[in-house]
Amino acid sequence: MNPSDKPDLFIAVIQANKGIIYKVANSYCNNAANRKDLVQEITVQLWKSFNNYTDQYKYSTWIYRIALNTAISFYRKENRRKEVPNDLSGSILDMVDTNNTGELEEKIGLLQQFISGLKELDRALMLLYLEEKSQKEIAEIIGISETNVATKVNRIKKLLKQKFSTVKT
Amino acid sequence: MEDVEIINLWKSYDKKLAESLLLNRRNTEDITKIKIRSFLASMRPMKIFNILAGIVWVVFVDTLIIKLFPYANFFFLFSAIIHVLLTKLAIGIYLYQLILIYLVDISEPVLATQDKLARLRSSTLWVARFLFAQLPLWTTFYWNKSMLDNGNAFLYTIQIIVTLFFTLMAVWLFRNTRYENRDKKWFRLIFNGIEWQPLIKSMELLSQVDEYKIEK
Repeated sequence: MNPSDKPDLFIAVIQANKGIIYKVANSYCNNAANRKDLVQEITVQLWKSFNNYTDQYKYSTWIYRIALNTAISFYRKENRRKEVPNDLSGSILDMVDTNNTGELEEKIGLLQQFISGLKELDRALMLLYLEEKSQKEIAEIIGISETNVATKVNRIKKLLKQKFSTVKT
Repeated sequence: MEDVEIINLWKSYDKKLAESLLLNRRNTEDITKIKIRSFLASMRPMKIFNILAGIVWVVFVDTLIIKLFPYANFFFLFSAIIHVLLTKLAIGIYLYQLILIYLVDISEPVLATQDKLARLRSSTLWVARFLFAQLPLWTTFYWNKSMLDNGNAFLYTIQIIVTLFFTLMAVWLFRNTRYENRDKKWFRLIFNGIEWQPLIKSMELLSQVDEYKIEK
């Protein structure tokens, strides 16, 4: 690939997978300002690793790994901010105005609240389960066996159902 | 709510995002133009500084020990030798951390990367243990023959109590400053504060990583 084409390819990859970045950032950061920083940090790390990307894995697998690794380590906020140059103050992802009322939004908010309440690694697994990733892909992203994925997912599913039933009653 | 309903709820969230999430192309382009420092780059200069400062200190104390060996009193030499030995071990920990920093690849699977990162941060605990181990040395280095010959019972008693107290504290802290005690009150009290937060969080994460490694 011509080096000058690299930024364009990178932007195309980010454009196609922006939802992943947003959902990961949203699950690990409740605060809007920190979330903006996290999205920026994930994008920076993706660009930094872009040269080393091999087609051994899908782009989505590669993005999930970097996004989750960055998000889980994001509590070092103060140090992290120093890594991102000051001239990068704008946001990478923007939400256009949407109607945020109704039962559906309320339920989505509740689901996100439950996900945020999980431990960091369980949260990663839950996200991948909700994204309907295959056990093989989850195993590749998290780095555990497929059998272990199945066991852990079942445990978290039970927990989630339990939480939802508590709210309903 | 059943599994299918939860998945469908997530799908509707996905659909909503697809409709309303916009990528800011210009800001993304800006990222591709800057020279990016590596994921842990900010940690490296501090570690290198600690290693270099440690080496300078160790060389200074070693030289002092060698030069003063024929003249200095036993207690000073004993305290200095133990102190320099523990400082060398602390430098070893910083070297280990530096190697781990180079080995971390953020595009590796989550568990492997988080394991390395958490071990990297929680190894700082060993530096704290070596610091604690040095506590009694600060109560012995100034002892000398004349002090022992001319002292009285009261001074001896005070000195013994202080040194014994610091020794017991050092042994206890060295043995108990461990990841397994992270939830104990005294541990949280000592390692309370913003600078220790990454360490505490890393230890919590390490216990999650260990849980995930077990296939059950």
